Amino acid sequence: MSETGALPLEATLAAPEAEPRRRHPAWATLRRLFRHRLFVTGLVLFGIIAFMAAAAPWITDANPNRLSMRNKFQPPGGDWVFGTDNFGRSLWSRVVWGAQLSVMIGLSVVALNAVFGTLIGALAGYFRRLDNILMRVNDALMAFPAILLAIGVTAMLGPSTFNVILALGIVYIPRTARIVRASVIVLREMEYVQAAVAAGAGHWRILRHHILPNAMAPMIVQLSFLFAYAVLSEATLSFLGLGAVPPTPTWGNIMAEGRDFMRDAPWIIAIPGVTLMITVLGLNMLGDGLRDVLDPRLRIQQ
Amino acid sequence: MIGVALRRIGSAVPVLLLVSLITFGMMRLIPGDPAAAIAGLSATQREIEQIRADLGLNEPFLVQLLRWYGGLLQGDLGRSILMGKGVVAVTFERLPVTLGLSAYALVLTLAIGLLAGILAALRQNTLIDQLAMMFAMIGISVPSFFLGLLMIILFSVRLGWLPTGGYIPFGEDPWGWFRSATMPAISLALLQAGLLARITRSTMLEVMRQDYIRTARAKGLPGRQVVFKHALANAMIPITTVIGIIISLLLSGAVVTEALFSIPGIGGLLTQAVLNRDYPLVQGGLLLVTAFLVLVNIGIDMLYAWLDPRVRYE
Amino acid sequence: MKRAFTTGCALPALFAATLPLLTAGPAAAAPFACPNRGGNLVFGQEANVNSLDQMTSSTISTRNIAMNIYESLVTRDENNKPIAELAESFEESPDRLAYTFRLRQGITFHNGKPMTSADVAASFDRYKRIGLQRSTLDNVAGWETPDAGTFVIRMARAQPTFIEALSSFSVPIVIIPAEHKDDAPQQLRPVGTGPFRLVEFTPGSHARLARYDGYKPNTAYEEATGFGGYKQACLDTVTFRIVTEASARVAGLETGELQGVEDIPTQSVEAMRKNPNVTVLPLKNWWIQIALPNVAHPPTDNLKFRQAVQAALGMEDIMDAATDNNYTLNVGFQFPNQPSYTDAGKETYNINDPDRAKRLLRESGYKGEPIVILTNRDYAPMYNAALVMQQQMQAVGIKAELKVVDWPTSVQMSQKVNSTEWHFFHSGWGTQPALGALATMQFLAAPGANYRPRDDKPDPDVEAAWSDMNTKPTEAERNAAFARMQKLVLERAYAYPFGSLTKVQAVRANVQNFRPFRIPRFSNVWIKP
Repeated sequence: MSETGALPLEATLAAPEAEPRRRHPAWATLRRLFRHRLFVTGLVLFGIIAFMAAAAPWITDANPNRLSMRNKFQPPGGDWVFGTDNFGRSLWSRVVWGAQLSVMIGLSVVALNAVFGTLIGALAGYFRRLDNILMRVNDALMAFPAILLAIGVTAMLGPSTFNVILALGIVYIPRTARIVRASVIVLREMEYVQAAVAAGAGHWRILRHHILPNAMAPMIVQLSFLFAYAVLSEATLSFLGLGAVPPTPTWGNIMAEGRDFMRDAPWIIAIPGVTLMITVLGLNMLGDGLRDVLDPRLRIQQ
Repeated sequence: MIGVALRRIGSAVPVLLLVSLITFGMMRLIPGDPAAAIAGLSATQREIEQIRADLGLNEPFLVQLLRWYGGLLQGDLGRSILMGKGVVAVTFERLPVTLGLSAYALVLTLAIGLLAGILAALRQNTLIDQLAMMFAMIGISVPSFFLGLLMIILFSVRLGWLPTGGYIPFGEDPWGWFRSATMPAISLALLQAGLLARITRSTMLEVMRQDYIRTARAKGLPGRQVVFKHALANAMIPITTVIGIIISLLLSGAVVTEALFSIPGIGGLLTQAVLNRDYPLVQGGLLLVTAFLVLVNIGIDMLYAWLDPRVRYE
Repeated sequence: MKRAFTTGCALPALFAATLPLLTAGPAAAAPFACPNRGGNLVFGQEANVNSLDQMTSSTISTRNIAMNIYESLVTRDENNKPIAELAESFEESPDRLAYTFRLRQGITFHNGKPMTSADVAASFDRYKRIGLQRSTLDNVAGWETPDAGTFVIRMARAQPTFIEALSSFSVPIVIIPAEHKDDAPQQLRPVGTGPFRLVEFTPGSHARLARYDGYKPNTAYEEATGFGGYKQACLDTVTFRIVTEASARVAGLETGELQGVEDIPTQSVEAMRKNPNVTVLPLKNWWIQIALPNVAHPPTDNLKFRQAVQAALGMEDIMDAATDNNYTLNVGFQFPNQPSYTDAGKETYNINDPDRAKRLLRESGYKGEPIVILTNRDYAPMYNAALVMQQQMQAVGIKAELKVVDWPTSVQMSQKVNSTEWHFFHSGWGTQPALGALATMQFLAAPGANYRPRDDKPDPDVEAAWSDMNTKPTEAERNAAFARMQKLVLERAYAYPFGSLTKVQAVRANVQNFRPFRIPRFSNVWIKP
């Protein structure tokens, strides 16, 4: 799962250059976003998936786990929009419910990172004394091949949806923390922050009012890419049999179960695979758009 | 510079110690034990208990931990429970396979990624740029295991051109190696190539906006010379660090690829070791792999310092 | 009176019943000769192999390869009857306290060294020390080597089933050179007496075997039978390649990249049958698909509840899902072609009567507590069977939940005494049912009876039947005891055997004389030029 480890690359792009900027009025940013072609395409692609996820109970007729041995291996089309699998389960149902899980897991990982990644990164970047300890642990966690760390954590905790979120959190938080830390270190030395220190403002106040708001832009960009990686990693983990417990309809689970039949029933793999690809593509495009608009230092085109 | 390298290696030691401690704790917290894994299907409970006793798994956690670090101090990483062989021997048996595959993937990554990135930068906002960036975007969005499956279905199952899996050592049969390693290398490389193309493009554009390039152009130097002699040379500096990251990504990406293509590399070995609770192999193997990655990164940093004179004086 | 067990004449009353393949007698017709010598065969093996140490590994994947390299004193024939292999003959003393094996002459190890009784004794020494099933030798007092060609086992206690246990191929006591007796577990140097020798082994990738030119076939037979008989290597080399993806094995077979494979998914069987280049070889009764209750924990401690579940199960659907429609319905713990087979307890099998199940459920006082079905995804049939079992249980109003973990975890959980974490455990019994009733029923006997009685104290009636199975002097009595035990286990719902699974092997059409068996045997297999 090279995907899991991919973060630092985008990070090198997004992190250290953070600069304090005057704030754009929100509407101006939005307008620029909606003029950004990639962003809009990404929004549409991801919107489709998000719609599937949200509307799952209404757009599928059936329980995604209902077996129907008589109907196994029905190809797509006809009575079965996406066909059926080796248990005669409707792939449409399973893929749509899978979208819900993917989005849910992705969002949870993002939320975990937004909270703990920011916290750890800010503490390490702001308090030099904490920096050494926190970053050592961070380095150790990042030194693991990411997928093996995730495999180890899920093996340790047992496969479940919640534990997958936790495992991906543990894999990604150090990477997020590092990016936040880089921004904070730069910001801390800024004149206006030094001025606030000189004026006797407390640490907490400085962090909250002067540093973190200005570290937001790279964070948002980072989290949008993280969303994509989390979705991809979750699928990879469940494909390896370490994700949410089967028969939970995650895309990785569906593909893993379809593996033995890829010769004669390739749709079982292809449909969730393409759906997964569309999701990640959409999120990456969203991320690009956000980066271009929110982080002008990195806005190269236009 | 050697001093710098030594200092870097020294600072990596505590990180590696932490890595080993985390691994040790994690493995012992995983439920299930190697006895059940060794016994395989339909073994009686008596057999499993026999194995458990034979392996000394009934010892307390702390005793096992101390024993392991004791061995480590003497350079003994222990024996793989599953294979009976020394951890170091097993690791170094498998590492070349993964390294060979990664090298192949790295060549593909560099060729595709740099080419696409440079072309896109030179032809900014043209169709070429858009195609290259679309390719890069797809590259970073296709799950590597899905790409691998698609290739297996197409090239092996349907067309029968390439073997579905397995691995032939290069030394034994170079053509066979090429055939068996191509699909895994592509599925590994695509994501990295996408990343590299994106970064190369933005770095190149950045560099080309710099004053000295503008000056060079203004002085009337031919476009190609400017691109290669100045722009690319300077862009290579950040790109080098990126390549360091890519190497570690290839190694961790190998976990999935090796599982999918039944390749006897280090990724598959360690995954199996985790799943079979082969404690010594996971602990020792992971330590060796992370140590290797740390060394690669130090090497890259040295290279970076050599490419960018400014860094040396920092 | 001394009873002589030579390979030629019929084995003793012990193993009576019918012995079609043992009547060979001193070879009358010409023994098997390779119609074509040479050729290299690549076999696609499903599961990874970590070690070829046959004494310390019980996995099928090890046996697949190692049993083409090693041989034992006694082994099993095509119908799982004990036969002599490296022994020319063996006899049991009247008091059953000594077994004398006369070794075949002129046998050499792959290193060229002649095999003598010293090697046999050393092999037993190693097995006694680290062999996985060293309990086989629990009743043995010791062994002696009166001369280079004779090996004697002295028993501490008579054990009527000793030869049956000794000839087990589960973790066989293979004969190795004496100088290898101190090899560490999993580390046995690969030198045996079989028709193939190991030339190359890369765990996780492949193992290559080549013909051993010094092999001396067992002339008491004309053809290979089971693990023994008249064996010869016709092929130059055999390569076992690990191909874990089922689709990849099929594709490899189609393209000719592989000349033989194990376990073709049912989806592809039809296409393979139609392929003129492929011969499909179904191997029936590969394992018994089974679930076991946790009797120590409510409500599965309640007979009525267990019977309710029994009544709810429809075996066709479970086996269809488990095996992709490649199964045989089968009562109990043996297969119809085996001497101990019985359908005792068949009224409990495949009832599939939801109304009866609901009635029993009411009588049991079940109050809708969640029922945990423990299964794993490493073995797809177990996962699949659990999925259908869950649905059938839900259909009669049981709140069944799946707990899917990996195989080592599920084994560990299922073996915990008085566990409250699970109610039904899914497994597959492969080797033991093939070895016979005795090997199988030890799963249901103390210690560690698989239905997990409270405090590991099993049902005394079942235990009594088990004791008879082990100690009754005649085979008929032991078989009767087995029938009694099976009936008890089924009636008291201590196990839910669903049926037997068929494993489909296949070879390229030019591969001749490959007969499906519990391991892929490459002796006497040849390639039509």
